[in-house]
Amino acid sequence: MSSHLKILVVLPLYGGSLPIGRFCAEALKELGHNVEVFEAPDFYASYSALQNLKVTTDRLDYLQNTYLQVVSQAVLAKVETFEPDLVLAMAQAPLSQQALKRLKRDKVPTAMWFVEDYSLFTYWKAYAPFYDIFAIIQKGQFFEELTKIGVDNVIYLPLAAQPDFHKPLKLNSIDRKKYGSEISFMGAGYPNRRVAFHKLVGKDFKIWGNEWDGDHVLKPYLQFDGRRVSSEECVKIFNATRINLNLHSSIQTDRLVTYGDFINPRTFELCGCGAFQLVDRRQLMAEAFEDDELATFESMDDLLAKIDHFLAHPKECKTYAEKGRARVLRDHTYAVRMQSLLDFTAERLEGWPKKRQRKALYSEDFPPELKQDIQKLLEQLKLPEDVSFEDLVWAVRQQHGKLSDLDTSILFLDEWRKLYGKKN
Amino acid sequence: MKQYLVIQIARFGDLIQTKRLVKTLLARQDGQVHLCIDTSLSRLAELVYPETIVHPIAAHGTGLSGIQTIQAMLVDNRKTFAALQSVSFDEVYNLNFSPLNFRLAALFEPDTVLGYRWHNGQEIISTWAQMAMRWSRHRRIAVNLVDFWGLYCADAIEPQAVNPTASPKGGGIGVVLAGRETRRSLPPALLATISSAISKGNKNSRLVLLGSGAERKAGEELLKNLPSEVADNTENLAGKTNWDDLLDIVGALDKVLTPDTGTMHLAAHLGTPVNAFFLSSAWCFETGPYGLGHAVYQAITHCLPCLETQPCDYDLECLNGFNRPEFIRFMLTGKPEHAPAGITGYATATDDFGMTYVPFAGKDPEAETRHLFRNFLAQHVGRNGVGSALDHDFAQQLYRDKDWLAANEKKRKLSPVVD
Repeated sequence: MSSHLKILVVLPLYGGSLPIGRFCAEALKELGHNVEVFEAPDFYASYSALQNLKVTTDRLDYLQNTYLQVVSQAVLAKVETFEPDLVLAMAQAPLSQQALKRLKRDKVPTAMWFVEDYSLFTYWKAYAPFYDIFAIIQKGQFFEELTKIGVDNVIYLPLAAQPDFHKPLKLNSIDRKKYGSEISFMGAGYPNRRVAFHKLVGKDFKIWGNEWDGDHVLKPYLQFDGRRVSSEECVKIFNATRINLNLHSSIQTDRLVTYGDFINPRTFELCGCGAFQLVDRRQLMAEAFEDDELATFESMDDLLAKIDHFLAHPKECKTYAEKGRARVLRDHTYAVRMQSLLDFTAERLEGWPKKRQRKALYSEDFPPELKQDIQKLLEQLKLPEDVSFEDLVWAVRQQHGKLSDLDTSILFLDEWRKLYGKKN
Repeated sequence: MKQYLVIQIARFGDLIQTKRLVKTLLARQDGQVHLCIDTSLSRLAELVYPETIVHPIAAHGTGLSGIQTIQAMLVDNRKTFAALQSVSFDEVYNLNFSPLNFRLAALFEPDTVLGYRWHNGQEIISTWAQMAMRWSRHRRIAVNLVDFWGLYCADAIEPQAVNPTASPKGGGIGVVLAGRETRRSLPPALLATISSAISKGNKNSRLVLLGSGAERKAGEELLKNLPSEVADNTENLAGKTNWDDLLDIVGALDKVLTPDTGTMHLAAHLGTPVNAFFLSSAWCFETGPYGLGHAVYQAITHCLPCLETQPCDYDLECLNGFNRPEFIRFMLTGKPEHAPAGITGYATATDDFGMTYVPFAGKDPEAETRHLFRNFLAQHVGRNGVGSALDHDFAQQLYRDKDWLAANEKKRKLSPVVD
């Protein structure tokens, strides 16, 4: 497989898979691929504006659907121009069924990383068959359900961390005070979490994240008035907290610790940050972490006991954190995930990736001074030395603002060749 | 001091047709005008626009080898790009709808670029240029390219100030052998008959055959078709002139017989009278000679103007009028009653918008609609113009919702540009 694939990452309009999509794009770049990102969040403000119209519901429905079709068309236009080897859509990416059919017709390989709980978000039933590759964070029943509707190219791809982002930070005293506490939780206010955290009242406890409205008991613990916390802020919180609670979400309140299957991204991210966490045990955890790499709990009583224990034993916390981080850096980065996805794609899609005619960047008699300048440009654009001319052109084009004389010359040469002769 | 840049990297004729724009910028007398052109036209640009600073680049396909291409594009062009970027341009007029122009625009702040611009890797076409693409679907009422480019400036100079009124200079008759598209030119034998008659009608004045090296053979063929006494008084200069020679020669002629060519525009620039033959895809309202004192013999058939890129399904019907015996008499007398069917004789004229063509013989069925359309466009660019009942139709044809829903009014208010 070529080490320089062209991959279009389609982000969702908003939501939890948005940062994951960005991490995927970064990881693919790290792997040396030529990555273009479809910035769907740029379209979200307009979509949201439709909801404020105060019009009849059928009108609103029509407008929203029509708008999403336009966004889908924008993705298709991007595909037409970029000609990717793979379109990687994140969960909730704005690709309509019609657009997906079009991509299939045009033989553009597509993959979705469905980073959702399949039993809660069932819309995959409509979309999954249109994708060539379907990556999921759960095993077992979900595979069978997908097979039933004709989706065969399914890969288990757990979430991960992005090492240059989820990393240990040296915080200043202001940030330590602002983001720090003995115990904290970062995440949305799912029903099981609300009930569970009532038991932590009275402790040095902070809750970060949104969807905690209406809970008067927890309100004093809620930070930033319950606004959404950015990924950058998360990293600070993780780094500033002694015990990061990580309770996987559930809409049930009869069992607060559900022993569900998938591992949430926070598990990997906390490890990446070298932060200590107490996480509820999950079915798929054993194959991802050794017992000494992650401190887990299996019930609320267990959690409360372990909070007391670990607050009293900070060295143990440190050992867990170090081992957890080492494991994540080795096995659970987005780069590792993306490589697995690409390997799987190559294995399952015959003739993928399609061979491209790629022009070498330097001819034999290439002027040496010019070569030096181009090498500097490659460094600046984070491109590998053996990049093809076509990929360099695309990377130059992705830059914003005024371009340099060299950038412009490269783009000009590319178009000139298209107009007057490909041999030159 | 303001800095203006005009990017015109198309051909010979296009460079000359940029004159209204260049002269407008010079007439502002508040800065310097720069011109970015193809290297092959460097000397021509210096001769035609001596008051400008010329920046030649390799833009045309010139059969370069691989390493020559690298040298031309990444070394030589790059130097020019760096020089252009070092000037802080207030306005950049990027005139050609070509991927090369879009890339060139990447050197400049998008807000300073008129025409074809580059915004964070996206090609953007300004509204005025998009409107031109839309009106090109109605070519019979279209406007002159010189005016389209010139009217990027709301303060464009008056059309009669672009070129001198043409008058004979005493140096004989120039015969331009062919344009780039052969279907738009008269066949050599016919051109020989016409040239010979015009020479005889002009006191047996000498004929000068003009063209590039590629037309030299056509010149020889034409010579063979001339009566010997005329041939003896004819010089085939095709392929033998450089730009300096061409300007000297054309500027000294009494008249130039020509299809739609760069030399025709050069003659208009120099004030040498043009008798132009327009047929096939050539339509005088789009690219006719600019300035007063010229005549165009425009073929008018049901299928014109056509597209050169598409085959002719009508057996070159538009040539018939030129082939009729009365055509030569018509050329010599200019009398409407001598005009052959299928030919309209137009004299150049101006109105507030720009160059137009008024029939002195034959019919111009679209004259009224064209007049109203020009009024509509004149209003669009902020010049005088009276509205008509057709304005709503024109507006529907030329405007798109986005033109006014998302228009950049700021630019229009801050400087005299038509974006």
